[in-house]
Amino acid sequence: MSAAKLRLLVGVLAVGVLTAGCGGSSGSSGDGRVTLTLNLFGNMGFKDLYAKYEAAHPNIKIVERTSAYNDHHRNLAAHLATGSGAADVEGIDTGFIAQFRAQPERFVDLRKHGADGLKDRWLPWKWQASVAKNGAQIGYGTDVGGLAMCYRRDLFEKAGLPTERDEVSKLWPDWASYFEAGRKYTANKPEGASFFDGGAQIFNAMIGQAETGYYDSSDHVVVATNPVVRSAYDEVLKAVADGESAKLVGSSPAWNTGFAKSQFATIACPAWMLAKIQDQAKAFAGKWDIAAIPGGGGNWGGSYLTVPAQSKHAKEAVDLITWLTAPEQQIEVFKAHGILPSTVATYEKPEVKNLKNAFFNDAPVGQVFTTAALNLKPQYQGPRAGDIQTAIRDAINRVEEGKQDGPQAWEQMLKDVERIEQ
Amino acid sequence: MTTIITEAPRQARVPRSRAARPRGGRRSAGFWTYAALVAVLLGSLFPVYWSLIVASHDNDAIARVPPVLTPGGHLFENIARVFDTTAFGKAMLNSFIVSGSVTVSVVLFSTLAGFAFAKLRFRGRTSLLVVAIATTTVPHQLGIIPLYILMAELGWTGRLEAVIVPGLVTAFGVFFMTQYLSSAVPDELLEAGRIDGCSTLRLFWHVVVPAARPAAAVLGLFTFMQAWNDFFWPLVVLTPENPTVQVALSSLASGYTTDYALVLTGTVLATVPVVAVFAALGRQIIGGIMSGAIKG
Amino acid sequence: MTLARSGPRRRWAYQLDVKGSPYFYIAPFFLLFGAVGMFPLLYTAYVSLTNWNLLEPTRHWVGLANYAELLTDDYFWNALFNTVSIWLLSTVPQLLAALFIAHMLNRSLRARTFFRMGVLLPNVTSIVAVTIIFAQLFGRDFGMVNWALDLVGLDPVDWQAGTLSSHIAISLIVIWRWTGYNALIYLAAMQTIPEHLYEAATLDGAGQFTQFRKITIPMLRPTIIFTAVVSTIGGFQIIAEPLLFQAGTGNPTGGSDRQFQTVGLYLYEQGFSLYKFGYASAIAWTLCLIIVVMALVNYSITRRIRRS
Repeated sequence: MSAAKLRLLVGVLAVGVLTAGCGGSSGSSGDGRVTLTLNLFGNMGFKDLYAKYEAAHPNIKIVERTSAYNDHHRNLAAHLATGSGAADVEGIDTGFIAQFRAQPERFVDLRKHGADGLKDRWLPWKWQASVAKNGAQIGYGTDVGGLAMCYRRDLFEKAGLPTERDEVSKLWPDWASYFEAGRKYTANKPEGASFFDGGAQIFNAMIGQAETGYYDSSDHVVVATNPVVRSAYDEVLKAVADGESAKLVGSSPAWNTGFAKSQFATIACPAWMLAKIQDQAKAFAGKWDIAAIPGGGGNWGGSYLTVPAQSKHAKEAVDLITWLTAPEQQIEVFKAHGILPSTVATYEKPEVKNLKNAFFNDAPVGQVFTTAALNLKPQYQGPRAGDIQTAIRDAINRVEEGKQDGPQAWEQMLKDVERIEQ
Repeated sequence: MTTIITEAPRQARVPRSRAARPRGGRRSAGFWTYAALVAVLLGSLFPVYWSLIVASHDNDAIARVPPVLTPGGHLFENIARVFDTTAFGKAMLNSFIVSGSVTVSVVLFSTLAGFAFAKLRFRGRTSLLVVAIATTTVPHQLGIIPLYILMAELGWTGRLEAVIVPGLVTAFGVFFMTQYLSSAVPDELLEAGRIDGCSTLRLFWHVVVPAARPAAAVLGLFTFMQAWNDFFWPLVVLTPENPTVQVALSSLASGYTTDYALVLTGTVLATVPVVAVFAALGRQIIGGIMSGAIKG
Repeated sequence: MTLARSGPRRRWAYQLDVKGSPYFYIAPFFLLFGAVGMFPLLYTAYVSLTNWNLLEPTRHWVGLANYAELLTDDYFWNALFNTVSIWLLSTVPQLLAALFIAHMLNRSLRARTFFRMGVLLPNVTSIVAVTIIFAQLFGRDFGMVNWALDLVGLDPVDWQAGTLSSHIAISLIVIWRWTGYNALIYLAAMQTIPEHLYEAATLDGAGQFTQFRKITIPMLRPTIIFTAVVSTIGGFQIIAEPLLFQAGTGNPTGGSDRQFQTVGLYLYEQGFSLYKFGYASAIAWTLCLIIVVMALVNYSITRRIRRS
């Protein structure tokens, strides 16, 4: 390396450091407008709405950032703990809301911005789930994942099961009859297509319907003592033993592949799952359909919008989330993306109630999901519910993989849950 | 000494007795060498090739049986989608700035320190080297929170300094250069220079730097790639608004659904510039290994 | 300029140069490293003595309690076993293959730049892509590997479910990514071996393999030590591959029965999933200690190369 080259390189280095200085993330843009940043995960369907808001508020510029589900929540926890780096608006999933609700001092208390007057917008339990112990309201609900059961008409037909959605819904008023239908299906099943995707996903849906899940209302873990948990666990494993499960782990690459490969005939589907099915199973448009969930009601997923206390534009950010979660905007989101609002007032609107989805054989998705959301019995979510869910999922997988039997996996799971509780 | 490639490949396949090997030349590669290298190359290339294949199809190509092995017609559509979904152009530029700065700095400072550790005598040499190496044993991931606190104090979060500055030196580089220079620079040469009255700095420029070129090229290459592919720290400290390529890739994979065609198109796009840099500089960088090192 | 011409002042300058300048050369490294490297390190050491939980505002001094807990933690020992297993399965074949590939690349080759670039390509590809691809290749139902096994009449393997099978699959990812990298390190060092050594050996009638064993390997000693130590450090810290091998499922448990959870992944689970930062810091420092010991063991083993 010659001296001249070295000088050049040092020059490049200096330029690198200097230009790097340009990429700031400060709160205001050059033209004096306030920039509001939103950190979200996945597609929440707001993108089309920003232009409208900016047009009505010329002093506001909106920037949305998305990252992957787990990255997003992990980063949010770190940014809150270190007191910097969080956006003006942070999305939080139902699986994490209890964890963040436990640190209300890190969020803007929306009651100070008129939240109490808006309370009636939402399903009561949705509102309650983001209320902290000290009474602070830390977030406004966006979507809910009211449950239904998606199924493949063509596979049902081949297995000699009814195909019309009303008849299918009648086939399984409760989970016992769902698994019974699964046994019938499995006896005549088309090659390679199991009845459901994976034991853990079905278990998840079953628990989503219970009034009490993993926690009692005073934040005590009740996994070991809640009979609902054990009976759902046993029922699912019985169905697995009967060969009803495709033994796929939710959200894994293999599970995604399973849609395109027709590896299962039914899947518990919250509203947001529809987009996923449409993406992964393009070739099967019109062959999917939607029936009622066994047991009726139930919830899986859904999100909140919050404003971290460290935001420099808390007032503007609160205004924005108030607007985004208002019924008018939520209707747009539902129409464009099928993401079901938690603002109950929208459920009566014809454009919501009468919405159909062609991919799912024109299933009346509006009616199915609003009914599911209205029927569900709200369940109290404790702070580590997500980790407990994972521990149970692993237990069911151990059985599906043939490594342990049900009671062994259960024992090990209880030990895992104890560690999580500490 | 120069390399001599006199044989045509056809001749190279003919087995020859050892005595027939040209003197003073590097041993030529025979048929089996080529065969083995081609096999290694195919193994290296296949997954990369396959991501290009998936990138040129739509999402369901990834799971077909038997596997799809020929390109489809969706590549440009997918590329357009990548640029629509994230700030990919800015991410590329950022990644070049970060990786370039880090590479220059690591190579320069590692060569300096490596020279001192390998060839100079000073008090505390061994213990300082051990300290340097020992620091590489600390799992990188856990430094993240304290480092983040530090960056927040400096007001660098969301800015490229936060990614560049912690990467400016690596103990790996120092260790690498120390080990390399200890065998690549003959002590006699340095002794001779000293007797001629050369200062240490002149020895560095005129003896060490030329000898270090092959290793510097390799270290530079590795550093560039690692900085380019660094994922965990940029994800925490940067924002999708001012991202590096890897951060942009992670936001591509962020939907409730995973669009493999989209993600793999992104990774192909992210790989192309690095490959292009190497293809352009490769002759110089890797050629440097050849010519620079062999000086009798 | 010679020593003979220099007066006392020059001699003083010379002394200063010889004694002092080494510190000048290592200063940039230590200064920069002290600023951005040492602080996180020491901070982690301090945190490991507290019960800091990222979700809670307060933290307390707990002394060595985290370390005591770790020693009786089954999951830690399980993770350590997995780490050692994956490290052995990946490092040994990787370094041997790299040595062999470097040896081949060191011959006079046509298109040598092409070959050298080619073997390095796996290292350029993003870890995100690598995971997606390998997860697909090792898929249980539609993976290309099982498809190939089926073609030759073998039963499919559930790669993720088994302990050994998952370790093999993860090791293959590591080997695929890092063999070319190590080969180039060896190659750079091979270039410094004086050609006349080989010529003399050839004249003495030493064959290819003997030359490789008696000349190449001993001359590469510092580099082999280097790669062995670096692979040990890297191998014990492995986290991305096992984390992403379980892609999409979210939590870093390393399989349903933690069958491929490494220590790095366990640290990650405790620190970034359960937010037990004090405990995670204790894992980090314990892992650090293990790595230092393993690196020293490796160092002393590879040092013996000279004697062979």
